[in-house]
Amino acid sequence: MTAGASIPRRLRRAALLAVLLFPACTQKLPIDEGRLVIALPGTPVSLDPRVATDAYGEQILQMTHASLVRRDAAGNPVPDLAERWETPDPRTYVFRLRPGLRFHDGRPLTSADVRYTFEWILDPSNRSPHRALYRHVTSVGTPDDRTVFFRLAEPFAPFLSTAVRGIVPAGSRSAAYAPPPGAGPYRVDGVSPDGEAVLSAFDGYHGGIPAIRSVTVKFLPDSNVRFLELSAGSVNFALNGIDPDLLPAAEKTGRLAVEEGAGGNVTYLGFNLRDRALSDPRVRRAVAAAIDRQAIVRAIWKGRADLAESILPPGSWAADPGIPPFRFDPALARRLLDESGYPDPDGDGPLPRLRLTYKTSQNELRRRVAAAIQEQLRQVGIAVEVQSLEWGTFFSDVRKGNFQLYSLTWVGISDPDIFHHAFHSASVPPDGANRGGYSDPEVDRMTTAARREPSPSLRREMYRRVQGILARDLPVFPLWAGRNVLVRDRRLAGFAITPDESYSPVTSMRILPAAPAAGPGAAR
Amino acid sequence: MRRYLLRRALHAIPVVFGVVTVVFLLVHLLPGDPVEILLGESAVPAQKEELRRELRLDRPVLVQYADFLSGLPRGDLGTSIRSREPVLREIRRRFPATLLLGATSIGVAILVAVPLGIVAATRKGRPADYLSGLASMVSLSIPNFCLAPLLILLFSVHLPLLPVGGSGTARHLVLPAATLGTGMAALLTRMVRASLLEELGKEYVTAAAARGLSRGEAIVRHALRNALVPVVTVLGLSFGAVLAGSVITETIFSWPGVGRLLVQAIDARDYPLVQGCVLVIALCTVAVNLATDILCARLDPRIRYE
Repeated sequence: MTAGASIPRRLRRAALLAVLLFPACTQKLPIDEGRLVIALPGTPVSLDPRVATDAYGEQILQMTHASLVRRDAAGNPVPDLAERWETPDPRTYVFRLRPGLRFHDGRPLTSADVRYTFEWILDPSNRSPHRALYRHVTSVGTPDDRTVFFRLAEPFAPFLSTAVRGIVPAGSRSAAYAPPPGAGPYRVDGVSPDGEAVLSAFDGYHGGIPAIRSVTVKFLPDSNVRFLELSAGSVNFALNGIDPDLLPAAEKTGRLAVEEGAGGNVTYLGFNLRDRALSDPRVRRAVAAAIDRQAIVRAIWKGRADLAESILPPGSWAADPGIPPFRFDPALARRLLDESGYPDPDGDGPLPRLRLTYKTSQNELRRRVAAAIQEQLRQVGIAVEVQSLEWGTFFSDVRKGNFQLYSLTWVGISDPDIFHHAFHSASVPPDGANRGGYSDPEVDRMTTAARREPSPSLRREMYRRVQGILARDLPVFPLWAGRNVLVRDRRLAGFAITPDESYSPVTSMRILPAAPAAGPGAAR
Repeated sequence: MRRYLLRRALHAIPVVFGVVTVVFLLVHLLPGDPVEILLGESAVPAQKEELRRELRLDRPVLVQYADFLSGLPRGDLGTSIRSREPVLREIRRRFPATLLLGATSIGVAILVAVPLGIVAATRKGRPADYLSGLASMVSLSIPNFCLAPLLILLFSVHLPLLPVGGSGTARHLVLPAATLGTGMAALLTRMVRASLLEELGKEYVTAAAARGLSRGEAIVRHALRNALVPVVTVLGLSFGAVLAGSVITETIFSWPGVGRLLVQAIDARDYPLVQGCVLVIALCTVAVNLATDILCARLDPRIRYE
């Protein structure tokens, strides 16, 4: 009898399985290797700051490409590559660069690079989607290596907020997945369009050397997979993008922590003012009064959203804290509908006062919100048909004005000039985002004057008046600003959540040493 | 044989042409403007018109269709609107990943289905047969988008043995291949069982036993070979389902294949890329079906190349 035959067959199989699986079981998690792994809900279209327009691209660029200025938590411009700036007249902006700036490849960053970046965007042959943002710029000058000035055709106060644009070296070619070097805290080591972007710390960063040396950004479109990756430890950082229902489960893992901070993206209900019923402000107010926003936030958002009274981010410097909050008042809603010619046709019977269609995307959260609003409006006699459409179809309908009610979220609003873009009578698509066809001479006048006004305090005053008029006319009903929710490994520290979901604070993060018995997963 | 191949290839042309035409029209009928998705809302109308002209989207749909068809013989599938790279280059970069995933899942399905089918057929009406039937029914009933998270939960979260997603190593391939292969394995198991049972009842199996062949030899050398003809046919037809399933599976597992590319292309209304992906999938399906017919003829000499 051979030695092999003396070992029971089952035992041999178990031993073979153990040998095969051993390397997997003892595999280190990224956090043990000092690696930050971020989950993004989509693939960026480009990582070249001159052409990138999508949110995912912008979020990676916040870590890789420095701008003349960046924004603080209230949306105010603060120094980045420029140590200071001045506006000698309302049509001229002069920026003074910090000394000793360098790109990731070691080349010095000078005013010529800044000029090149903006002139490249302005050159029609390069077809940059950002060209329209800088349409007021008539010339860019560089009197010396550290000074760059912009001349504008007319005063344009939001210009500073458009100066948040990554600077690239002069002569850089544009390629979607081979981004030109930047001067941000991390350099791009590699990007695979369907998988991930690998970044490494840049020791020459002007804001200090990042403590975490290696960052991987994974593009994970499926929300369940993002959660499962976090649970498995192969991802250790996700800012938003995790379903609120899964957050308690994330906390239960022991290894993950859930944090939240105020959000800046306001979700609103849009009305089509060309519609016969909705052109009456009383009907719009009735719809607003019938919606119990707090109940929806509690039930669907699990409390992780703040009610909004304007489309400006709640912490914005131009937000008007004096706007009276919209109250849930079904009795008022019924009265307003009676007054506007939509009486209840059959008392307690099934016939509605009014029928409306509500369009939304196929996002699960938005569908649930639509169902809740449908039910709340039914209580006051408004029958709502919800149409959940594929994103391209939905957005196309909204742009064309092919809707009665719709819901969308304003993302990344940094300047109150959004009021001109969204409510000026000349901003109807394709020239802007006044999708409901709102028109008010006072709003037109104030939003036009405010964008030419260099004084922030006077601008703030004008925008407060605009917000007052909008609260009265209700061309859109602001619903809430979802809080920014961060799910991270407990060993990650130092990330401050900002309302604009900025990834810039990654620079100040660090990895804490592993506790001897830190809960499930620590022994992996 | 050569004439048969030529004739089959000629038959495939109208099929591929039909698929491409329908997809071209459907994609162009979809609401949503690729220029607007690309440039965002802030772009001025003149800029949008400029890009529309450059991408030739300002021309009538029929002219765009004629352009697309005229490029096909040269292998020119157009330029991706999103990445501005040639469509063929984008597809070529991702096609090997889809092929690897598809081939692995089919391989896994065959490895599982043939032994299970034999066991079920030879133990008809016994617990092994019922168990195999139950497993097949459950596997066929679970859609890929449910099975994938369940497998991840078990093998990546609770038993941290395999990566959740991504690509690069053999371990990354296991879960997506299992997801895609499970449904097919179930179908094949039932096919092998049914087909083998039919063969086992035939006289030549009894004759083989009378000649002194063991039951195992009779099954493997004679009955199984004949039973495989319908199985191979189903396998060929299932290849289309594998490619269709790869759209969901690749998206869930971040697998860098044509399926995920197709989803991204549809989201971006990247017309040339959608058309290119569908064309490649259609060509693959036609090619596999042709290969299936040839294989069936090899397995069963009664099938002629007619």
